[in-house]
Amino acid sequence: MTILDTLFAEARNGAANLTELIRGRGLRLGVTGLSRSGKTVFITALTRQLALLGKTGKNALPAFRVAEEGRVLSGRLEPQPDDNVPRFAYEDHLAALTGPDRHWPESTRQISQLRLRLDFQRREGFLGGGASMTIDIIDYPGEWLLDLPLLQKTYAEWSRETFDASAGAARASLASDWRGFSATLNPDGPENEQIARRAAEKFTAYLRASRADSYALSTLPPGRFLMPGDLEGSPALTFAPLPVAEGYVGPPGSLGAMMERRYEAYKTFVVKPFFENHFARLDRQIVLVDALAALNSGAEAVRDLQRGLNDVLAAFRIGNNSWFNTLFRPRIDKILIAATKADHLHHLSHDRLELILRQLAARSIARAEDYGAQVDVIALAAVRATREAAIKYGRDTLDAIVGTPLAGESLDGHRFDGTTEAAVFPGQLPADPRLAFRGETLAMPEHMADVRFLRFRPPQTPPGAPPGQIRLDRACQFLFGDWMS
Amino acid sequence: MSDAGNHRPERQRPRAFRLDQLDENMVVAPQADYYQTEAVKTPVVEEPAERATEEAQRKGFFPGGWSWGGVLLSALGALASIAFGLWLDSLVETLFAKSKALGLLGLGLAGLVLVAIAVLIGREISVLFRQQAIARLHRALALAHETDDGALARQRVSELVSLYADKPEMDAAVRRLRELKGEIIDGAARVEIAEKALMPGLDSAARREIARASRAVSMVTAIAPRAIIDVIFVAAQALRLIRKISEIYGGRPGMLGAFRLARAVAAHLTLTSAMAIGDSLLQQIVGHGVASRISSKLGEGVLNGLLTARIGLSAMAVCRPMPFIAQKPPGVSDVAPFLFGGDKSEKNGQPEKPASRT
Repeated sequence: MTILDTLFAEARNGAANLTELIRGRGLRLGVTGLSRSGKTVFITALTRQLALLGKTGKNALPAFRVAEEGRVLSGRLEPQPDDNVPRFAYEDHLAALTGPDRHWPESTRQISQLRLRLDFQRREGFLGGGASMTIDIIDYPGEWLLDLPLLQKTYAEWSRETFDASAGAARASLASDWRGFSATLNPDGPENEQIARRAAEKFTAYLRASRADSYALSTLPPGRFLMPGDLEGSPALTFAPLPVAEGYVGPPGSLGAMMERRYEAYKTFVVKPFFENHFARLDRQIVLVDALAALNSGAEAVRDLQRGLNDVLAAFRIGNNSWFNTLFRPRIDKILIAATKADHLHHLSHDRLELILRQLAARSIARAEDYGAQVDVIALAAVRATREAAIKYGRDTLDAIVGTPLAGESLDGHRFDGTTEAAVFPGQLPADPRLAFRGETLAMPEHMADVRFLRFRPPQTPPGAPPGQIRLDRACQFLFGDWMS
Repeated sequence: MSDAGNHRPERQRPRAFRLDQLDENMVVAPQADYYQTEAVKTPVVEEPAERATEEAQRKGFFPGGWSWGGVLLSALGALASIAFGLWLDSLVETLFAKSKALGLLGLGLAGLVLVAIAVLIGREISVLFRQQAIARLHRALALAHETDDGALARQRVSELVSLYADKPEMDAAVRRLRELKGEIIDGAARVEIAEKALMPGLDSAARREIARASRAVSMVTAIAPRAIIDVIFVAAQALRLIRKISEIYGGRPGMLGAFRLARAVAAHLTLTSAMAIGDSLLQQIVGHGVASRISSKLGEGVLNGLLTARIGLSAMAVCRPMPFIAQKPPGVSDVAPFLFGGDKSEKNGQPEKPASRT
């Protein structure tokens, strides 16, 4: 990005923020996380809870102070504000969660947005009385954030980094097919659409394989390869790294030059619009992390998640928001890092899960706090699918969770069909969070694992009531409670 | 964390039990919903003494809004500084007119004056921020203890520790608390551990100061020949005492800082006077009554001593970076036992010795 471009984008954002400032207070909340971290469920549950505030007799969000004090008059969905951004399909996802055939909704494939309005009563002060604020929830795949560093990288740099990463122990076997193919390519040879397509396919296959369930490795850029959306097959998505030296510039008409051109197109048409139109305008951010899947897989996956998470968090513009900043250069002043699916383990293990998460993001947390942003780490479940129980047999007692495991999940010799309930003791997380990072294990089989977290079906929710949650109220309080005092 | 965990082997393997195929000797007992109880803990500390302290800190250290008095003061201040600048400027010009060397000297001195003023102002401001930080720490630690919030407690206790990191006599306690930082400890327990490790030394130093000041005040009042002398002396001692206590607890009051501190102490005295009736007013009246029968001067001395002790205790409450939790808050009779017949200090084993009895 040239300086002029940046200035232009800043000016446009400044104007947009100015209009927002005049037309009313709106908070832009970014929701992200690597894929399968539970973004869709989180937004659906959050919206459902906020939309039902003040409508049901009992407050379902006790730790959300404005709700607990009974100051929320109503919460409702508003029409989509931005005409060129898809609306978050809240109703469909809610139907999936609560319908007769309850299942987890489809995952985030693209950016989407939802506007909520909360009417509430101010506590005191000369601005007392009724007030209203909008919350724009912006949902985008965390993989897209991995692309932001590409804006500063040339094609040759990116190629080299991608090759280096694929040589690591965890990825080498997955990448062998693509690496073998690209070794046969000559960057200086004539450009060829078929070769470019095959290279891109094999590269995408490698990226996809590392995301497979049993490995649970996080993703490398470019993030849009796994979630192409409407760009599928377009030249901006048909390129792959080539083994070229630093500072390489392909001769005109060569394969290398074509790849480089497409890489630049990817940056211009995919990465930059996302950065300028959405990402640079967020006020608050929640990063969802599925730490349990990585813990299931083993230490190698946990370390990989650590890398991915820190890359994602490095992209944020963070810092203290003064009123001047709010107008011209909004920064994210509060980041919540949340381990989702906390209902998959007993609350006694939550402290350990939070410690592991803290360790996972330690570098980014320190950095964000240096810039003056507030960071909190919690274990949450936006939709609580289990309840807690003690299993007593003989002299032993296990603190377990009870729920309906998804069809196909298996543990301890049982294979579940998705209809029977089971009490599950998922094992104990290590007391020292560093132990979770030690070792070379990946895709660990069950008999070796110290912990095994099963996935559960969504709970049955009575109509008109919000689904159960764990610490979703604390997340609300942290993310926008201070705007409603 | 769980006491059930102690009976188990270190690493229990993951297990699953189908609820429709349970063995006969196996019981699945539902547990109470932990998250309900976790969430309903109130985020505000309800204890009246703590509320009073926080309110006093807010009144003293976080003056909000504006008032005509404030406008007047700032306008006067701005005028005075303009006048001072004008005077300095004309002085230097006059000096230059007399001789160049004299002018340069004057210019250098004026520069020095400005630098010194800037440094002093900077220090005042940093003092004010430090006072506010300590008050905020107090509130957050009280909240962390009340809500048993582990993350908040961890963060705030490490702030508390860094407040005292440069005091050599607290080295051991600071090191111990830093070791505990990574351990899993409940929020409330962590706050209590920090209080027990850091506060007792400071508390007893503060109590010694209060005892000293209150003894000096009661003695001087008793023997002072003129009323105006003891009024001045009492005021000076009270100001000195609250500055000293603030220093003990890690604040460094400058001029404006001391003013705000005095305001907070006054607010605290007002807020707690109702509470104190049951606690010590009776004793005060009794003490005053007995002493004034002997001599009216002696009775005034006792009363002034009590007043000083109350001021000291209020200063202790607003300067202390955490509320009294594990430690018992001292009362007037703890810090100034000599005003109530004197034998209490030996009985309680207090550190201060009633050396000079009035």
